[in-house]
Order: sequence, then structure tokens, then C-alpha cells
Amino acid sequence: MDDIKRIVDEVTQKIRSANIEILENIKSEYLGKNGVVTKILKSLSHYSVEDRKKVGFEANRVKSVIESGIKERKEVLKKASLAEKMRKEKVDCSSIFYFPFSKGSFHPVLQTIQDMSLVFKSLGFSIAEGPEIETDWYNFKALNIPENHPVKNVTDTFYLNDMRNLLRTHTSPGQVHVMEKQKPPVKVIIPGRVYRNESSDASHSSTFHQIEGLRVDKDVTFLDLKAVLTKFIHSFFCRGLNLRFRPSYFQFTEPSAEVDIQCLFCKGRGCSLCKNSGWIEMLGCGMVHPNVLKAVNYDSEIYTGYAFGIGVERVAMFKYKIDDIRLFYENDLRFLKQF
Amino acid sequence: MRLSYNWLKRFIDFDFNPQELASILTSIGIETSVVSSKCCWSGVVTAKVLDVQKHPYADKLYLCKVSDGLKDYSIICGAKNVSSGQVVPLAKIGAVLPGGIKIKKSKIRGIYSEGMICSKEELGLEKKSDGILILDKNTEVGVVLENALDEIDSVLEAEITLNRGDCLSYLGIAREIGAKIRKTLSIPAIKTFDVQDLNCIEVKSDLCRRYIGVLISGVKIGTSPLWIANVLEKSGIRPINNVVDAANYVMIELGQPLHVFDITKLESKKVVIRNAADCETIAALNGKEYKLDADMIVIADDKKPVAIAGVMGGEYSCIDEKTETVFLEIAIFDAGSIRKTSKKLNLSSDSSYRFERGLSWDIAEFASWRAANLIVELAGGLVKARKDLQTVKYERTNIVLRLERVSKILGYNVKEDEIAEILRFLSVDLQQKKGGIILCTIPSWRNDIKIEVDLVEEIARIKGYDNILPVVPSPEKHDACVYTSNNSFLPCIVEEFRNKLNGLGFSEVLNYSFLEAGELKKFNLEYFYKIANPLLKENEVLRPSLLPALYKNLLLNIGYGCERIALFEYGKIFTGSGEKKTFAVIMCGRVWQEWWKWVEQKISPKYDFYFGAGIVRNILPSDKFIIAENLNPKSYYHSGKTADIIYREKLVGEFGILNPAITDGIREEVFYFEIDLDSFDSVYGRENPIYKAYSRLPMVKRDISIVADKNLEFSKIDGIIRGVIRSGGILKEYSLFSMYSDGYKLGDNKISYSFRLFYKNDERTLTDEEVNEDINTLLGELYVKLGVKLRE
Repeated sequence: MDDIKRIVDEVTQKIRSANIEILENIKSEYLGKNGVVTKILKSLSHYSVEDRKKVGFEANRVKSVIESGIKERKEVLKKASLAEKMRKEKVDCSSIFYFPFSKGSFHPVLQTIQDMSLVFKSLGFSIAEGPEIETDWYNFKALNIPENHPVKNVTDTFYLNDMRNLLRTHTSPGQVHVMEKQKPPVKVIIPGRVYRNESSDASHSSTFHQIEGLRVDKDVTFLDLKAVLTKFIHSFFCRGLNLRFRPSYFQFTEPSAEVDIQCLFCKGRGCSLCKNSGWIEMLGCGMVHPNVLKAVNYDSEIYTGYAFGIGVERVAMFKYKIDDIRLFYENDLRFLKQF
Repeated sequence: MRLSYNWLKRFIDFDFNPQELASILTSIGIETSVVSSKCCWSGVVTAKVLDVQKHPYADKLYLCKVSDGLKDYSIICGAKNVSSGQVVPLAKIGAVLPGGIKIKKSKIRGIYSEGMICSKEELGLEKKSDGILILDKNTEVGVVLENALDEIDSVLEAEITLNRGDCLSYLGIAREIGAKIRKTLSIPAIKTFDVQDLNCIEVKSDLCRRYIGVLISGVKIGTSPLWIANVLEKSGIRPINNVVDAANYVMIELGQPLHVFDITKLESKKVVIRNAADCETIAALNGKEYKLDADMIVIADDKKPVAIAGVMGGEYSCIDEKTETVFLEIAIFDAGSIRKTSKKLNLSSDSSYRFERGLSWDIAEFASWRAANLIVELAGGLVKARKDLQTVKYERTNIVLRLERVSKILGYNVKEDEIAEILRFLSVDLQQKKGGIILCTIPSWRNDIKIEVDLVEEIARIKGYDNILPVVPSPEKHDACVYTSNNSFLPCIVEEFRNKLNGLGFSEVLNYSFLEAGELKKFNLEYFYKIANPLLKENEVLRPSLLPALYKNLLLNIGYGCERIALFEYGKIFTGSGEKKTFAVIMCGRVWQEWWKWVEQKISPKYDFYFGAGIVRNILPSDKFIIAENLNPKSYYHSGKTADIIYREKLVGEFGILNPAITDGIREEVFYFEIDLDSFDSVYGRENPIYKAYSRLPMVKRDISIVADKNLEFSKIDGIIRGVIRSGGILKEYSLFSMYSDGYKLGDNKISYSFRLFYKNDERTLTDEEVNEDINTLLGELYVKLGVKLRE
């Protein structure tokens, strides 16, 4: 019996410091065919019946102690070796200076349209579109711009060779298309590409994008227009941004306004971006002119509406602090990859 | 329009500084900025010199005692012209002078100076000064210098919208300010008198609505007095001589352009207003010759034109130092005609600018007297004769304004009294009726006010848009729309393309819709739309394909050394069947960037046909898009490396390697893919997948290699294997993992394909025998039908 006790102490001691190899040795030394414990169990017949029971019980206990001891030790060793393996495999995070796959990018102009559309959708606007090749009716006449009006001087138009069709100079003809197709209520935005026949410089491009907005219903007022645009600007830029509505002139709206927002970069103190005025011109808007409603057979005594137009490049330039509109169309990856 | 701030004060009494005035004008629709302010200092006040003594330690310096009325200062001054009793500009300690010079307390030769007495040079008012600036003796002491010095004026730049020609004058701007601050205008006084009729005028064109001619004789041409030259210069007009300056001044004062010429230079003493003859020419005052046509109006004598009506005078009738008899013209021409003339001749002037925007019947009359008075005042002489010819009867605009309409449009109630007050200050004649109706007679200079809603704008504008407070839109009011179910401005499938390609490292580009016609030749493309009036060659035609511009983008990026170019674009192309939404991808170079890890593993794949096709396959949203042989490849593709995309038996797109003849000079192959979104429902997005039950048992994999004839299309082999898969046996999937042709090993015209076959029985584990049997059946079928053998 003392033997058994001694064996337990001895084995426990050995297991505690053993490595995998030694553990295997211990296992065979004690529990193998000729192992110490196996021997005891085999020799049980030499004992008296009384002792046999006692010794048998103890020997079996020792056997299970050794077995579980080895198992536990193995777990410990496994954990330790895994930890060691991971320690050895540690990467140098500071060396991940570039990746095998380059990052993709979305064009800042289309992305701005997507972002703005999302805000307008949350304000209940649907999305419509119109053709880029237009007729004089849609681009001018239906929008209350008569022949020979000086406004045609300003928005120089690209005419196609047939001289009948032209490239739309604004997204406003989309208003006419929408209203021709349906009766009020109307509440849409019309994003798209527009064209002006002018030479390009840092702030002018012959091709650019606009988002048109139109809402016509009973009881739509100038106050609603102010409210919806204020909400848009606060959602798109930042809450509480100062903005001002300034009277302006567009043929297809009356009253007309332009909306300026406080310069985000100098917080209105004046900087080169806002030409020291503290304000950035953001969009044009107004109440739909009765002549426009008349052109699409809407009764302007019953229905009123508002419309607005936002220059997308302008917004993107301001948002991303881009100083030359031509960069958008150069498609240099060193520019594109920044977005 | 440029305005002198000080001069504006002559017409309306206000006490805003230039900056405040600019923001008030901006708030009522005249966007104004202060362009130049001569005052570029701060902290300079007027002060009286009380005592002047020689500096004890310096011969050329003076020690002055100066007072700003509150305190005495000890100032050291080097100017010889300083003496006691003078009022001078004093830059106190802390003042900033032009160039950012800050005045500090400083010791000069042992004595402290508490500021500086300034010269005009030091104030930036002139280039070189001889001594300090001495102000008028009666100037108040202790006031800021800019308020004491009359020559300190600010120039304002006001942007006048197209509809407001009436604001292109001091009086017009002053009237707007008056309406805003509810103050009455000071209108210059005129003297009218009876003179004899001027009978030499003949109006032959009905594009001339009104023509007033005034004959002034005995004038003496000379330079203008300083005040008029100053105002003109500040308003951006070059002074010429007293008569011309008087006419120009009246134009900027009242907004009515005037023309003066020397009538004695005319060949006949007759002044005819007529349409020009085609090809008639005139040498204009700017020294250039212009060719006219029958749509233009001219002022002429019997023989030739003396002026392009409303645009510019002619050279030969111009006023010079010998002129004694002046013909003064005040006219109203058809605005559209002047605009067309100015545009056609590419010639605009201060005069045409105003004519284009429309003039006032009443102001024309007033201006004729004002100018006649002024010419006589400045150049002497006598008004000899006058004639007022009218080809139309002028009618005033009357508008009924319903008060209820004001709040219906603005969403905001403005009281009747306030409405009436605003309109009156805008010179609208009112008759207030019962039932919320006001009868309005519009002043003749406001030809922009035509209908009721124009008056509503006037009310809102003067009241101030910012004084109409916004409310938060209420949701129930804002979902009352039915129009489209479009989710995005981009078609759904484009959203999917964009997102997937972005994840694969592609960049989105946007190109102009225009191309030079010559750019198409390289690709053997034809344009369908040509621009009639392009300013630039690059705007010549509308793109019939996205390819030329994308290829240009590619070259640009290769040019600066980019090794991996993968771009995509969504946009409209313009084809024989109109504008079409198109999506295209171009790629070239390394699939992945060069990376140490790839280098280690010797991996450096380049974009080629198969990789490109894989990407196309990957981004297409469903298996309904079938890749098929391109039977009729466009010449810009490599004839052997291109394929079609078929959707519901319709050709919707193409892809392939660009023809090496085009990409000559680029080391790598260029892959291009274009899909026409209009040829299928572009709202089309991801298909709704239907779940199919699948077995949870593992797959058995087997690899086989076969040898086929090179000219046997792979699709035939693929068809047979897919047929077996479709038949519902134990073969479930296969993949092609190797493909090679090696004449030495395989024999000429042979190609080897290696497949991995995936077997599975849905109910139980498969045995080797079952799988082998199935493979043999497949190989048998391939051999019998296509002559394809198992590779030895």
C-alpha cells in the first residue's frame, strides 16, 4: 500500500515537468504492458481476498490518476506549443504598407448624386429622368423662355446638326416630361447630365450634372420650398448650417431664389474658397411659373409648385475641396483613387 | 454694374457702410460685393496739430503735440510741411497701415513717439508724397479718417439679373434701397422748355419704338469737370470729353443709353433710322469695321450708316474737339433685335447691354431733358430743336393682385398695409378695392412685372426671403406623390456592376459625351450626331461608344506609369437609334499589384481574355446572361478573342481583347466589355433565387484529362458534360482547371483539357466502382460524339 502511495507521488512529480516524449515514456513505464501499475494489477492474485480488494481499488485509482494527469499535461503542452507557434508567426503590422488588391473607387460626381438622391428619397421624392437630346419646346419654350430672350445668351446651347434638336442646357426639361406624363401630385427629383457650349476653365465645363427637383400639388407654397431645402441642406451637409435665401431670377420660377450656404471651411469668416464672402452659392429654386404649368395643362389657379436645381459638380467640389472642375473628367487614377 | 458708394448717397439717404449696403442689396436680389475700398488702413483718426518744435537731437525731425480732441499725443514727424493748427491724419498706436505696417510706440533719437502723422503715400492713396496729408481746416477732429476724407470712396459691383434692366443705373439701385428701407428718392431736377421741331429725323424701321432727337448747337468741346470724370471712372466708364461724358453719365444715372454725334459730319442733314442693307459696312468707334445685315437697325444719313443702333456709334460722325453742333439721340429699340445684332457682331457695349434688357418709356423722355440740360451746363450752347417720334402707342401694364393669392403662394400672410407700402415704394400705382383686391399700375421701367405672381415676388423680395421662416415639413404632407418606383438614378443592374467592380478594385470614371470626329477613326466607329455649333473641336460629335474615351483614359494612366488599370463607366451613348444607356469596362496590366507575397510565389497574372471574361461572368447578375461566340465581331476586337453576351436570345453586350493593331504600343493586352442597358429591362437586378434541396453527403472528386482537336469548340465538350449533369445522374458539377496545347507532347492541332468532376449520390455514399463506371460512360460519349480521347 505504501508502494502505491509512493508511486502516486512519484508519477505526479514526473508528469508535472514532462514534455510530450516523456509523457509517452511515463505512460508505458506505469501503464504499459510491463508497467509498474499493470504489474500490481496483474499480481492481485497473490494477495488475500481482503487485500486484493483494497489493493485492486487503489491500483485502479492510481491508474486513472496517472491517465488524467497525462491528459491534463498534454492539454497544457498543446496550448503552450500553440501559443509559441502563434508568437513565432506574429506579423509586423507596420509592414502592411500596401495590399495586393488595389482599392476600387466610385466617381465623386456620381457618388454625390447618389448621396443627394438618398436624402431626397427620405424626404419623399421619387426619381425620374429625361433625355439628354431635347427640343426647343422642352428646353426653352415650355419653361417660359421665349425666342430671343437674353437668357439664351447666357446658356449657350449645343445644337445638333439638324438644328432642330439640342443638348439640354439644364435638367429642367425633365419637369415638363414628368408633368406631361401625369397629373398632380408630383414630387420628383431628376438627376442628369447637362451641356453648355462654353469653353472650359477651372469652374466651367461643357458637360456637368444637375439634380432637378419638382413638387406640384394643391397648397404647395414658397414656405414649403424653404422648409424642404433647409432640411435637405441640413441632412446633406450638417445640422444647423447657416443658409440664406436670396431673390434671383429664373424664367421658369416666380418668385425665384438662390440659396447660399455658409462656407464649411471658414465657418463664414471668409476664405479663398468662398471668395471671402463667407457664403457658397448652392442652388437655384423658386415657385413654378404659371406659364410652365399652363404649358403642361395644369391649372395654375388650383395647383402651385416649387422647383429647384442643384449643380452636382459644384457641390462635389465644395464637399471634397476640389479646385478645378476639369479634374472630374480627366480620369487620372491618382485623382479617382482618392474617393 | 459698378457703382460709387458715395455717389449713390446722392439719390437716397442711408447710413450703412459699404459692406452693410452690399448685403442689403444682396438680400433683395441684387448680388453686390465691395470691389475696391480705398481705405486699407485701420486706426487712423483726424487730429489737430497743437504745437511743433525741433527735435532736440535731430536736425530734420520735429516734435509735435497733436490732439484727437480727447487726449494729446507726442509725435515725432519728419515732414517739412507740418505746422501747428493743421488737421492731419494720425495713426495711433495699434493702427495698421497699407502693407500691414503696425504702428508701435517707439523711440526716435531718444524720444518716444506715440503714433505717426501720415502722408498720402503712407495711406496708400498715392504713389509718392511730398510731406504729410493736410486736411481741410474745418474737418472735425477725432473722427475716423475714412469718414472725413471725401476721396475715400468704395466701389460696389452689383450683379443685375437679366430681368432687371431698370437696375442698371444709380437711380434704379437707389429705388431698390428706398423700397427696402422705406425712404423716398432724390431725383435730379430737370428743366423742360419749348423748342422748335427737329424735322430731319425719319424712322423707317418698326424695330424702333421711340426716337427722341435733340439738336444742341454752339457747344464747346473740352474735358469734363472732375466730379463727372470721377463718377464715370468709378462706374467703369472711361471719360472722353464733356459732351460724351454727359451722355454716358445720364446713362449710368438713369439707365437710358444715349448717343451723341456731330451732325455736321453727315453727308445730308437727314437722320434716318432704318434696317441695314445686307453687306452694308460701318467703321465703329472701336476702330473695327462691321458687316451688317437686314435684321440690324442703323442710324444713317442719306448715304451710309453713322451708328449701329443701340450698339455702337460710327467713327466718322463722332464728336471731336471741333464739334459745335451736337445731335443727341434717345431711343427705344426692340430689345430682341439689339440682342441679336450684338450677338451676331460679337460686339457688346454698355449701351447694347441696357437695350437688350428693355428700357422705360418714361425714363427715355426724362433722360432726353436731363442730358440736354447737362450738355448745356458742361459744354455751353443752346438747345435748338427737338423731336419725339413714336411708332407704337405705349400702354401701361395693369395687374389685379388678390391678397389671398399672396399667402397661397408664399405660405405666409403679409398684411395688406405692408403689401401696399412695399408696392408704393416700388412706384407701383395702387387702387385698393374691397374683397382683398388691389389694382396695380406698373411703372414703365419694370417691364419684368407682367402678371400677378410677379408682384407676389416683389412683396416677398422686399420683405426679405429670410424673414419668411421655414417650418419643418410635415410627413403626411410630403408623401402624396405617385410617379416612379425607381430606386436610384442608376439602373439597378448598374448599381450591382458598380458595387462588384468596386470590390474588385476597379475605378469609376466619367467622360465627356463629346468626341472629336477624328478620334473615332482608330476604332472604325461612326458618329450619328454632329454638333452644329461647337466652340471647340473636342465638342464636335456625340460619342457613339464609351470605348474611345475609356481608351484615352487608359493611355493617360499608362503614361504616368500606372501598371494596373481597371476602369468602368456608366453613361449615355448616342447611336442611330437615339441615346442609349451603356456600361463599359476597360482593363489592362497586372491583375494584382506587384506585391512581395506574390513575388515569393512567382504569381504575376495579367488581365487577359479569360480573366476578363471571368470578371464579366462574375458581375452579371444571373445565369440568364449567356456568353456565346461572337459571330460578327467589331473590328476593334481581336478577331479570335471576343465573345457575345446573350440575354433572352438577344445580343446585349460584347467583350474581348482589343485589336492589337489599335493597342499597338501597349505592352499588355487590353480587355474591353460593353453592355447595352436599354436592350433589356435595365431595372432588372438580381433574380429571385428559388431554393433547391441539396444532399448533405460529401462530394467525390475525380480529375481527368482529355485531348481534343484544337478547332473543336470547347462549348461542344462543355455541352456534353453539362448534358450529363442535367440528366440528373451522380455527376453534379465540373470545373476546367487546366488547358494546354503542346505540339511535342500532344501532337499538332491538339489541345488538352483537365477537368475536376464532382460526384455525389443524394442518398448514400458512392462506391469507387459507381464513379468509375460513370466516368467511362462520359468518356465514351465524348469519344463517340466528338472523337475526344482520354489523355495517355
